Amino acid sequence: MIMKELDLLKKDWQKSGNSFEQVSEAEIYKMLHRKSSSVVKWILIVSILEFLFWSLLTICFNDEKYQEKLQEYDIENFMFIMNSINYLIIILFIYLFYKNYKTISTTDSTKQLMISILKTRKTVRNYIWYNLAVITISIIISIVMLFYHNPQFISLMDNAISKGHKALFIAISVGVSALLISIMIGLFWIFYKLLYGILLRKLHTNYNELKKIDL
Amino acid sequence: MSDDLEQSFVQQLKANQNIIHKICRLYTNGNDAHKDLFQEITIQLWKAFPKFRGESKFSTWAYRVALNTSITLYRKSTRTVKTVDYEKQQFFIKQEEYNFEEEERLKLMYQAVYQLNDIEKALVFMYLEDKDYAEISETLGISEVNARVKMNRIKGKLKKILNP
Repeated sequence: MIMKELDLLKKDWQKSGNSFEQVSEAEIYKMLHRKSSSVVKWILIVSILEFLFWSLLTICFNDEKYQEKLQEYDIENFMFIMNSINYLIIILFIYLFYKNYKTISTTDSTKQLMISILKTRKTVRNYIWYNLAVITISIIISIVMLFYHNPQFISLMDNAISKGHKALFIAISVGVSALLISIMIGLFWIFYKLLYGILLRKLHTNYNELKKIDL
Repeated sequence: MSDDLEQSFVQQLKANQNIIHKICRLYTNGNDAHKDLFQEITIQLWKAFPKFRGESKFSTWAYRVALNTSITLYRKSTRTVKTVDYEKQQFFIKQEEYNFEEEERLKLMYQAVYQLNDIEKALVFMYLEDKDYAEISETLGISEVNARVKMNRIKGKLKKILNP
């Protein structure tokens, strides 16, 4: 009885061989590149989320008091220009991420895909370096402002100078500033490593797989 | 050069895609799952392609990689799924079938096969593809005797599923 059923099944099986919806060559190419394109898509999404996060944080802390302080320090215009440039550059980076994503998800050759992966990795790395540079510059600006405008700091400085410890005071200030900057940079570096590092590593693995094929 | 390799792979896969479709039909029960498995098998084949030296036919090699992929994936994902979705199962049946009684029997058979485990499905697949035990044993990496014994056990199991 079971043999009869199996024969029936076999007959139907062999008959139905051509009843499947056929996949085109273009679709197969797309499947092969899917992995990289999904990683690059995540890079795009993460960068946008990160941008929104920082913007939101800035808006939250950008209250009137902060604006008054900037006015008091007479750097309101300067900060406004700096921030605008910063936003422009970050939006440019997001645009580049988007362009990379578009190229990778539409390319139909391995060579082109490998080139795009390398390009994407470079863009991400540049983006991280840029952000670290911006953070360093903002810390330096705040430290300089502190020395120029904070009354406690000014009195401390005057005190040190009047006692003849000017050199020592400068040395300590520079040392503490440098330490502060390295700690901040270190923290942000870890932050970016975690945020983008996993994605970059996945891209790298993909690249190596492609390279193995490219003999 | 790599583009040539890729092109040759895509062309051969396209020509032999029904193998993969058939495997997907046994291992999945739904259009999306079918597509997902098809894509996964395609990627695994592409990864293994550099090792394919053309000693065997592309189709024979594809059988092996595709079945291994399905078995591994099936192990990973479907510990919990035991019931068969009757609605989804229906798309297995060809539409131009006239004989309702036969159609019903086929439906039951496909459902029974779907309830087999990963390895058993692979054997049934090879059987339905009309492969002899030598080829089954080579593709699945088991001995010929073992393949025969397993196939007999599967027949018994199917019988039990059909007539509980």
